[in-house]
Amino acid sequence: MPSPYRLPNQIKGEKIIRILRRDLFVLFKKIIFFCILLLLPLLFFWIMLEMYPNLLQGQISCPIVILLGSAYYLFIWLFFFFSFIDYYLDVWLITDERIIDVQQRGFFSRIIAEQRLYRIQDVVSEAHGFFPTILKYGEVHIQTAGAKQRFLFHQIPNPDKVRNIIIRLAEKSKARHIAHNA
Amino acid sequence: MTFQLSILLIPYLLFLLLWLIFSIVAIYHMMKFGFKNFTAFFTTFIFIGISILILAASYNFINQIDWQIQITVFENMFNRKLPF
Repeated sequence: MPSPYRLPNQIKGEKIIRILRRDLFVLFKKIIFFCILLLLPLLFFWIMLEMYPNLLQGQISCPIVILLGSAYYLFIWLFFFFSFIDYYLDVWLITDERIIDVQQRGFFSRIIAEQRLYRIQDVVSEAHGFFPTILKYGEVHIQTAGAKQRFLFHQIPNPDKVRNIIIRLAEKSKARHIAHNA
Repeated sequence: MTFQLSILLIPYLLFLLLWLIFSIVAIYHMMKFGFKNFTAFFTTFIFIGISILILAASYNFINQIDWQIQITVFENMFNRKLPF
């Protein structure tokens, strides 16, 4: 099956090994926050109706409630979509030749960094906190000899497994690189 | 002070314009950088669908209000009950 991911500057015969995003729990937290924002005005509205039962009969208050309610829900729906885009467009790709870090920072800033596997010097995985430990997500720090000294895979699932994959691929890549230069 | 109720629609329409611009930017980003796969298309479709639902519900409520009526506020305000 062809990959839907177009690798930047793809090397001939390069294969994608892993496509990583932040753990789904991170998205779940965003959804919970969105649900709270969804319910908050309803609670506020209910309290206001208790205090002012004629709120929806007022000549000014009724249109204001409708316009504010509409604007609020349109705004938080767009805010949630922005939040999802931020989650979805932050991707780390591991290929058999490189690691690629694609970061969407806001709407008009996109950063793509890559590093060859044979330049990797050290890989560290870590998970701090209750949820990361229970749900097995965390960080993978990759120390390289490149200009960008340290790559960070942020809140990815199974960081230990990813570290092992990177180490294995880096060793293979180093062996190929040495053989090629010999 | 007396004004027509439809004055309230001006800031709302300005907000809608701003919202529309940001929505187009968001959809553009999703289409351009979202790798053109099912998830990107599906989430964009859901975003557009629910946005249309919110707009339709808003239109339904807004349509029931008579925006031509004249409203008087801050007139003799310390001696009379507020309209809401």
